[in-house]
Amino acid sequence: MSAFRHDVIVIGGGSNGLVAAACLGRAGLRVLLLERDEKLGGQSRLVEFAPGFRAAPLGLDPGWLPDPIASALGLTSLKRAEVAADISVMVEPGTFLSLPRDVARAAEAIAPHSAADAAKWPEFTARMRKLAGFLESVYQAPAPDIAASSLGELVPLLGLGRKFRALGRRDMVEFLRTLPLSVWELLDDWFESAPLKAAVAAGGIQDHQQGPRSGGTGFVLLHNLVGAPQGAVRGRGPWRDGPEAFTLAAEQAARRFGVTVRTDAAVRQIRVQDDAVTGVIAGDGEEITAKAVLSTANPARTFLEWVDPVWLDPEFLHAMGNIRHRGCTAFVAYALERLPDVPGIGSDAMAGMISLTATIPALERAADAAKYGMVSERPHVEFTVPTLTAPQLATGGRHVLVARAQYAPYRLRPGAIWDAASRDALGKAVTGAIEAVSPCFQSRVLHQATWTPRDLEERFGLREGAVSHGELGLDQILFMRPVAGWGGHSTPIQGLYLGGAGSHPGPGILGGAGWLASRRILSDRKRRIEARA
Amino acid sequence: MSPPRYDAIIVGGGHNGLVAAAYLARADRKTLVLERRPMLGGAAVTEEVYPGFKFSVFSYVVSLLRPEIIRDLDLPRHGLQILPLESTVTPLDNGDYLASWSDPDETRRELCRHSPRDADAAVVFGRLMHHMAMAVKPIIGMVPPDPASLSPGDLAGLLKLGRHFRSLGPERFHALHKLMTMSSADYLDEWFEFDPLKATKSASGIIGTFLGPRSPGSAYVLLHHYMGEIDGAFRAWGFQKGGTGSISNAIASAARAHGAEIRTDAGVERVLTRDGRVTGVALSSGEEIAAGLVVSGLDPRLTFTRLVDTKELPGELLEGVRRYKFRGSSGKVNLALSGLPNLSCMPGEGPHLRGAISISPSIEYLERAYDDAKYGEFSRNPYMDIVIPSMIDPNMAPPGKHVMSIFVQYAPYALNGGWTDAKREAFGDAVVKTLARYAPNIESLILHRQVLTPDDIERITGLSEGNIFQGELALQQLFFLRPVPEWAKYRTPIHGYWQCGAGTHPGGGIMGASGRLAALEIMKSAA
Repeated sequence: MSAFRHDVIVIGGGSNGLVAAACLGRAGLRVLLLERDEKLGGQSRLVEFAPGFRAAPLGLDPGWLPDPIASALGLTSLKRAEVAADISVMVEPGTFLSLPRDVARAAEAIAPHSAADAAKWPEFTARMRKLAGFLESVYQAPAPDIAASSLGELVPLLGLGRKFRALGRRDMVEFLRTLPLSVWELLDDWFESAPLKAAVAAGGIQDHQQGPRSGGTGFVLLHNLVGAPQGAVRGRGPWRDGPEAFTLAAEQAARRFGVTVRTDAAVRQIRVQDDAVTGVIAGDGEEITAKAVLSTANPARTFLEWVDPVWLDPEFLHAMGNIRHRGCTAFVAYALERLPDVPGIGSDAMAGMISLTATIPALERAADAAKYGMVSERPHVEFTVPTLTAPQLATGGRHVLVARAQYAPYRLRPGAIWDAASRDALGKAVTGAIEAVSPCFQSRVLHQATWTPRDLEERFGLREGAVSHGELGLDQILFMRPVAGWGGHSTPIQGLYLGGAGSHPGPGILGGAGWLASRRILSDRKRRIEARA
Repeated sequence: MSPPRYDAIIVGGGHNGLVAAAYLARADRKTLVLERRPMLGGAAVTEEVYPGFKFSVFSYVVSLLRPEIIRDLDLPRHGLQILPLESTVTPLDNGDYLASWSDPDETRRELCRHSPRDADAAVVFGRLMHHMAMAVKPIIGMVPPDPASLSPGDLAGLLKLGRHFRSLGPERFHALHKLMTMSSADYLDEWFEFDPLKATKSASGIIGTFLGPRSPGSAYVLLHHYMGEIDGAFRAWGFQKGGTGSISNAIASAARAHGAEIRTDAGVERVLTRDGRVTGVALSSGEEIAAGLVVSGLDPRLTFTRLVDTKELPGELLEGVRRYKFRGSSGKVNLALSGLPNLSCMPGEGPHLRGAISISPSIEYLERAYDDAKYGEFSRNPYMDIVIPSMIDPNMAPPGKHVMSIFVQYAPYALNGGWTDAKREAFGDAVVKTLARYAPNIESLILHRQVLTPDDIERITGLSEGNIFQGELALQQLFFLRPVPEWAKYRTPIHGYWQCGAGTHPGGGIMGASGRLAALEIMKSAA
């Protein structure tokens, strides 16, 4: 039979790697999954940032779990935590606007700020849900490709076309209009209340190095709303059983389907011979052979670090090098003696996200700095207390608070670098921002850990510290993701596939790319077997 | 009212209205153009603002005027004579300069001086942009099909569009996609390394647009300005002999030659309707003129909310017009000079003064200029596109003296505190002081200074919020979305009432395309 030990090697044990491995295992393939870190989970990974205190700084919103993937892996029983308010935005220190997921209750909360806005809230949230719902359809199919010619490629396009028309005239146009729009414009068109607009707009610039005034942030907002129920304007919310719930369940599913899982197993090289993959070389030098390799690591990293350039077209390499990442978010985790007091909101609101930026212009000013390679003078800070939904993250009834801050661009001005001093300064700025709304916050801090984009690159394997694995610009999605013309999860090297967040459908979708990549691997196999027959 | 003497009345004597009038008159429709000001042209006007000195007051160069219009209306016979701009010089802060010349070899040598890599890349880039302009050309000349409709006409249009994109091949299609979605800075970053080169090129992505070079969507505006052809050469910009007003006059002459009547000092107050159809117009003088067709060359806000009673229009259309963004961001400073400016980086008289001077030393310079405007101030260090028309056409000024046209980004319409006289002068001062850094003798040469803010542009030409394109050239309001969904084919819900200004596809620049497409649609509908 085959000289290869494994049919597929999956690189990366995050959600995409686990889902891909499980799906391939379920189809009867011999799968080996290699994870560089000692733990699985990728961006959902729990980190013990201080003795007795754990957090998943990148997993505050684990992402959308599409139904087909949940079914395929038997994960339909995973539940989300009940959170009082998805987001509470500061109006001024001491006053917050909390937006419960329930549309009617949110409207009640909005009414004192603007009766007109309260009246429009149900329609707005319904519209966003509908548009995000269509995007979900786009994300569960291979990316539409203008060059599509085979029937196999065209059929899903027709299905998508039908779903598009089913939106109805008004929403078809709204969808196309919203993609290039800025969230500034989008929200100005709907609402008048500054904090309400700021609360929603923040979802359009999340982990994105553009301000709310920039085109394409309308798309980013919709992207972050896939899988979020109506009324939830800041994403999907944490798992009921803790940040590792999906990872543990997916790992179980993978093992159940016969996948071999190896942690502490970095990859140093992907071996190619005669334009076809032959396997990988692990960090310790061991050569592992396989007929196919699926990398869920960053695409640019995959090709620029692990594949001998002699096998690659210079233009392809050039395009890989040109992918914009632009990580611009820093995370700070705090170990707290007790819950912070935030006048204006109850402690249960801190199970959701608290945003400290009260207006869209303030978001825009924060974004300006990044363009010039500087950290925002007044960063956009949001925080949540994950121990309110997952008390096991801290011992002895103590608490963990995780904050995210933008903009802290990976690429700084010439002469500036990310080092201990700049990390420290950033950490202090975030602490100061929280202290401004929560007196005595600092006095409750036992430990603090700050991850700058440089730290994220090192600890989580994120190129340029970009959580997105490739900026969510309209030119870097669908058939353009990771590079133009290679949106189908295959690559110029036969047997080498890409299936991480750097591929369609992108970040924030649990197993999204991994699932599509596994289907591509299976259909390619089928075609090869049929061709041989 | 007496029975109509006219088949069609064009409201507004701007270049699109004049083009529409010419095409309709050529098809034997009795056409009347009504212009509010004493002269024709809208924002394409030449005025002797200072005795002996002729200013192209607003628009100043031309590239995008459609070749088919030039041909169909035989405009050269009516006075159209475009003299190409031979160069662009960008003064650098270190006293050096970056120049591009019409001669590709000279340009290459010059670029090599700064970056041999960029010199090579520029050749490939130029070829690609040529292909991009070719790729977009058919779209410019097409009536936008409605993607939400199931009518055979629209489906055929969509199919044609789809086939056209497929015919580009994946490589060019992807390049086009990038141009439609990226920021001009990001797009150029993939090609070039020399910052002043990137800045100068990206500057055409911010013309008349409230975006910075780092804003997604500015690469489209870059492409839009690349689409012009002069004598078959893409991306060539030229200066009309006599100023842009002569372009308007040439089109008007062609219209008259086909039998159209044109009246100036005849502002239209209202479009008259009965039972959902137009019956004519009423002038501000009170005079009423009857016609079965009224074509508005004014922008969408005026067309839909000023000329007609909004009660006659569906709520969705009005909502769309309300959302349609103008956001004027450009200013203009016109100078009458007693002599030639002396550029420190290229002293003395020379061919470079017959081209454009671009104040765009770096991307950061442009982006900071944009940042100022975002927060409601005019740019302290603005981007400027400068030409000296009298160097190309000596008739624009007395012998030995000169006119200088300075186009400026950014001057936001909604300035903090509003555009007072003092603010206008401060803006003019900022422009002159910036120029003085590169041409120190400029202040001593100024005989007269005319400063136009977006507020002035609106007041004088009627262009809402002073936006020179009759609305931002942003993807969300282009093509089948321009000006609003469902009403992007030059019609309006009122029978016989049409739109032909740049607030329709394909948008602004002195193109004439909207006027022509509107006229063709009108003729098709009556047939």
